[in-house]
Amino acid sequence: MFDLIISQAPRFFTWYTFVFVLEAMGRTLMMTVIGCSVGAVAGFAITVIRSTTSNWMMLFRLAVTVYVEVFRRIPFLVILFIVMYASQGLGSNISLSAIATVSICLVATAFLSEIIRAGLESVPRQQLEAAQVMNFGFTRTLFMVLLPQSWKVILPPAFAFMVMFIKDTSLASQMGVVELTFTGKVLMNRGYSPFLVYGVILAAYFALSYPLSKFGAYLENRLGSPQRRKSVERVRANSGPEKRELVG
Amino acid sequence: MDYTFQFSNVIQNLPYLLKGAVLTLEIAFVSFWLGSAIGLAGAMAKLHGGRLLRALVSVYITLFTNTPALVQIFFLFYALPDVGIVLEPMTAVLIGLTLNSGAYLTDILRSGVESVRKAEIETAVTLGMSGLQTVRYVILPHIAKTIYAPLCNFFVWLVLGSSLGAIFGVEELTGRAINISTANLRTIETFSVVAAIYVALTFIASIALGLVGRHLFRAKIKVF
Repeated sequence: MFDLIISQAPRFFTWYTFVFVLEAMGRTLMMTVIGCSVGAVAGFAITVIRSTTSNWMMLFRLAVTVYVEVFRRIPFLVILFIVMYASQGLGSNISLSAIATVSICLVATAFLSEIIRAGLESVPRQQLEAAQVMNFGFTRTLFMVLLPQSWKVILPPAFAFMVMFIKDTSLASQMGVVELTFTGKVLMNRGYSPFLVYGVILAAYFALSYPLSKFGAYLENRLGSPQRRKSVERVRANSGPEKRELVG
Repeated sequence: MDYTFQFSNVIQNLPYLLKGAVLTLEIAFVSFWLGSAIGLAGAMAKLHGGRLLRALVSVYITLFTNTPALVQIFFLFYALPDVGIVLEPMTAVLIGLTLNSGAYLTDILRSGVESVRKAEIETAVTLGMSGLQTVRYVILPHIAKTIYAPLCNFFVWLVLGSSLGAIFGVEELTGRAINISTANLRTIETFSVVAAIYVALTFIASIALGLVGRHLFRAKIKVF
């Protein structure tokens, strides 16, 4: 049963395969980071537009809200297909990985704008009122009152979203974008056993995602206010095995 | 640059697509409930199990939450035949999504159980409640209220995530869209309609789940 795998292993685990997979990991990471960075900027812009109150911005607010609600509810695969065929239909000639990156931007914008909005809303209302009393304008309130207090709340979930999206980029392989999953297909076409190939691809994704998610958890711990950390600890301390005696 | 939209063929195929949408919901439903069973077992093992069991569950969660569901199903579908296990596409997708959602749901359920404070249970004991009563009137309502919103979000995520079944030839919504678009060559129109169906589907699901949650658990659900 495992004969094939064992016989192929020495041919498979070579320097060449290692470099090939490593390059693909780099490309996967690059697409995600670019997509999410653009998404963060655009998402911030969307949040700013949504937080305006004037009448003449109403139409923009509506459009942006619809955008966020719609793009959070379409599968990434379908968005990829639409972007790809739309760009072909328009006759543009951009590369497949650019199409994938644009799709990531579109989705990341929608999701990150929600994260940023939740973060800004976490600032106590009294702070806003105080800013108003001191006659702060819109921009000044945003950059001197809201952002300095909320970036700590925004950063951990935004980072977690990016780490999550590393995994979702695997869908881009279906259009022929040469990233980690597609590399697996290429290696399989060379005749290697899928067991080896997908095992290695899974390990590569794990190697990308695990350190980053650990870093995200560290970030969350580090940035959380002492009060919040204490409450988390209290919750942890109150749960666990000793509770069983009380329940039973 | 000039492209004429023609929706007529897609509209004709709308019943076919909607049947695919039903299958999408079925896949999400089945993997949600099977995943919940795994999640419940995992959460219990993690909270009350021995050291070995806890470590095993932790390994399961880390492995499945740090790798893409797509590659996991690739592994099930293409790699397992090497060791003599051949799976149907549908079975592979269901197993993959179930194992994947089991890992996420373990975390959600565990955080729900952890949110019950010791003082509440002590109060129940003081009031002379029996074990069963404590579970029914103190612990369960609390857990339900805490985890209902994440569970709803997760279900919506699963509805969207089940679209990767199309890659393995499962004829759910996206799979049927690919079928249609390869026949009528109206890909943009087909996929826009499918996107609209997904939006409608998840909106209905969110609103319905939100209403149920408000009514039953007094959970505060934000639909928008």
